Amino acid sequence: MAASPQTSRPAPVTSPEADVTSAAGAHLVRKKRLFWPFLLPAIGLYVLFMVVPTVATVVLGFTSWQGAGDTPEFNGVGNFTELFASDAFLYSFLNTLLYIFVAGVGTFLLAFLFTMVLREMRGGKLVRAILFFPNIVAPVALGMFFSIIMIYRPNRQGLVNYLLESIGVDAVKFLAPENVTWVVIGCLIWASAGFYITILMAAVDRIPPYLYEDADIAGATPWQKFRNVTLPLTWDVIGVAGVLWTIGAIKIFELVFVLAGPGTYSPPIESWTLGLYVFDRSFGTAGSPEYGMACAAAVMMIALVSVLVVALRRLMRRETIQF
Amino acid sequence: MSAPESAPETRVRREHRTPPRKPRPAPTARGFSPLRIVGMAFVWLFTALNVVILYWLVTAAFKTPIEIFNKPFHLPYTWFERGDPFRNLRYAWENAGFGNAFLVTVALVAVSSVVIVAVAAPAAYALTRLGVRGSNPMTNFFAIGMGIPFQTLVIPLFIGMADLGLTNNLFGMFLVYVALSLPFTVFLLTGFFKSLPDELEEAAAIDGASPFRTFFTVMLPLARGGLITALILNAIGLWNETLLAIVFLTDNANFTLARALFTLYGAASYQSEYGGLIAGVAIVVLPMLVMYILLARRIITGLTLGAGK
Repeated sequence: MAASPQTSRPAPVTSPEADVTSAAGAHLVRKKRLFWPFLLPAIGLYVLFMVVPTVATVVLGFTSWQGAGDTPEFNGVGNFTELFASDAFLYSFLNTLLYIFVAGVGTFLLAFLFTMVLREMRGGKLVRAILFFPNIVAPVALGMFFSIIMIYRPNRQGLVNYLLESIGVDAVKFLAPENVTWVVIGCLIWASAGFYITILMAAVDRIPPYLYEDADIAGATPWQKFRNVTLPLTWDVIGVAGVLWTIGAIKIFELVFVLAGPGTYSPPIESWTLGLYVFDRSFGTAGSPEYGMACAAAVMMIALVSVLVVALRRLMRRETIQF
Repeated sequence: MSAPESAPETRVRREHRTPPRKPRPAPTARGFSPLRIVGMAFVWLFTALNVVILYWLVTAAFKTPIEIFNKPFHLPYTWFERGDPFRNLRYAWENAGFGNAFLVTVALVAVSSVVIVAVAAPAAYALTRLGVRGSNPMTNFFAIGMGIPFQTLVIPLFIGMADLGLTNNLFGMFLVYVALSLPFTVFLLTGFFKSLPDELEEAAAIDGASPFRTFFTVMLPLARGGLITALILNAIGLWNETLLAIVFLTDNANFTLARALFTLYGAASYQSEYGGLIAGVAIVVLPMLVMYILLARRIITGLTLGAGK
């Protein structure tokens, strides 16, 4: 850690006779003296509002605690054994894994497919800009939009079922508890694709074009070009994108809450995610709150994100390629 | 066009081949492989789908529920014939409290974004340009904050804020928004400050400017692009923020737009007030669309910056 600013010697600001080196040294000292005043507001707020509450959540995860008005009491790993015995949590955990892995693989496959095509396509910039837009729309608005176009209601179908019926296919109950997770996965892939396409394309654009020209001369198919040029040269960016995806997917909440349920209270447990579990057991309106359990589930979220990010970084690690 | 022997250090596998007899076909001639055609068709279809969705959203905001469901692609007409084309928007604005929420959101988002950048910029500067040992671990300490899901801190935070009487309170919401946006903003701005040249800072020091003054008159203006990007990205993020608003704001008078939309959803789908609901969605989405059309490049590069490095 840096030397405390109070111990540094007084700066000879007022002496014009000071020689160059000591003036420069004094300047450096004065510069370093700015460190804490500049950093303190940010780090203070960060520690107070993020670090301390997160640590508190971890501690409270090991307590039995109903909520405001109740005193937390230490009960060891009791919450966690209870979590893994409850259907609601198991559904939440499983669905979260589905969102991370299935939707993640889907998004990345789609993004790769697009980079293969977009690299040599006219209008690629426009396509990218259009596909990126859902990323800056509130998930809660996206969820409502999808829930309206996927309504199943004979004679007044939502847009998707309207189209299905107009081509002679039976309407589907998209938002029923057993289907909704897959619908959300589809929405998620659609909404996030633009972001990952942009990240990957930025990396692809930095690959020197002569490598592709070489590949063309050698008669490479698009797949070979992708496998032997694009993939190895964007590997590091893919790794970072994978971490971003994991961090984003683990906290999915609004989209599921709105798409799967009536919006005023939690949807059926079959559709829950970890984020939704925490919300339902603390601030959700259905049932009495169980803050201790909610904290334990939140601890599982931190554990899951840490394990996955570390594993991903390990998995993606390799020597850097210079190009 | 360059020689095929280049870039030997890459892992690109290439068979040794004799130079092709025929010259490479002209760029216009290639690209008719069936795979490419299928790929391009798919890309354009996917893109067209997004445009159709936007069209549907904007037109549906002016339709009656019957039109929304039975004539999804028609232009709206019922409310126009009745001489009240903005009926849905008025419903959302007046009956569902979006008018008030709009003002609250604009004020809250504007003030919070400015304060976030004002707090994060000196911190990012201190972490990158003061040459203090321990800056790197400290930067990583901030970056970890980007990976913390808000659900994991919201319970103790809520209890603490409730003790201070700062729940259901816009000042409390402002504090939470500022603090929770810092990791991303500090991380984003360290990238910008790192990329600035040393020379101007040194020149200012030689001219006798104090480090404090150097920061304000030399470095901040240089990092202006980064600061504006940070401002815009935070404004977008907070405009769309829902989870924290649901937890911390309970009174209609304090609702932000996303929060008001969340509440409207239950009531509107119960009463089949789909026109009003879509108008509400449009009120949340369209300002983002306008911002996006004006600033797409800055938004895209800003949001994807971290990954490219």
